[in-house]
Amino acid sequence: MWKTCGHTACALALAALPLAAAAKPIAFAHGTTVMAEYGAGTMTEVQAFYAPTYRYSFGGGHLVLDSELDDRSRDITYMRFNVLPKRWNLPTAQANVFAWGGVGRAYVGETGEDEFAWNAGGQFDYETRRVYASLRTDLHESSAFSHRIDTLQLGFAPYAHETNELAVWFVVQAREYTGGLYDGTEVAALLRLFKRNAWIEAGLTQDGKLQAMVMFNF
Amino acid sequence: MKHLRILLLLAGLAPGAAHAATIEMTVNGLVCGFCAQGIEKTLRKNAATDDVFVSLENRLVAVATRPDADIPDETLREALRDSGYDVTAIVRSDRSLAEIRAGAAAKP
Repeated sequence: MWKTCGHTACALALAALPLAAAAKPIAFAHGTTVMAEYGAGTMTEVQAFYAPTYRYSFGGGHLVLDSELDDRSRDITYMRFNVLPKRWNLPTAQANVFAWGGVGRAYVGETGEDEFAWNAGGQFDYETRRVYASLRTDLHESSAFSHRIDTLQLGFAPYAHETNELAVWFVVQAREYTGGLYDGTEVAALLRLFKRNAWIEAGLTQDGKLQAMVMFNF
Repeated sequence: MKHLRILLLLAGLAPGAAHAATIEMTVNGLVCGFCAQGIEKTLRKNAATDDVFVSLENRLVAVATRPDADIPDETLREALRDSGYDVTAIVRSDRSLAEIRAGAAAKP
């Protein structure tokens, strides 16, 4: 996980940060979440989920994966079901465990063929109004490929925002890809802003590439 | 027209006039404005709701009800649960939402 910056240095740097607000695949009962992420050229994803209750949501997405190492590319379109098996509502904090799974079709660039594909993943997050941490894993598989995307985010807010105020977060993201998409750990520094139902974050990876996400709840 | 306004004003001050109350709920898990917007959306669907105020700092969700209307505690707890939060206390007060907003804004 820490190959790029060295095990000890990265662990110390991340431990030194206060444990930001986490993107969640379930908004609230009868809520819809729409999200788009540009992941430094290696991944681009759009998702839309509707939640009948705060415990689960369903919807779909499209994920494009382009290897940094060779000509591997995948276009994956999927339907997904998300569940919230556990939430801890504490006086000044909240923590969540999310899990999801789905099926879809994947276009494999090297062969030019469409394949059945499935996906599964999970997320744990913890946040207060000033600090946040999330760990997410997302697996995409077909008979032609297996890619797991692991993402760790740690963030802090310079001030505790109120409901209708602009929230500002500084986030450090570490991400690893399996299956020949990227070598090592991709680290990004992000600025996250949200107010009411709109969320935007953007930053740069250690390679100077753009990492960005927008999200809306309604 | 002037007389009508005076009559309406007096009617509003008279004992037994329609009374709007405020319900104040203490809520656990209120840490993110982006995530808490579901609370307002859910509570505003209730016909008895006049206005809603959410304060992360005070762990407070306040609902101003329409004149002579109330929302049962269980309905309130269910609304907050549907939004993903837990209610720990519910009190009814005579404070207006404007006063509660002002109080929340005045806190350092």
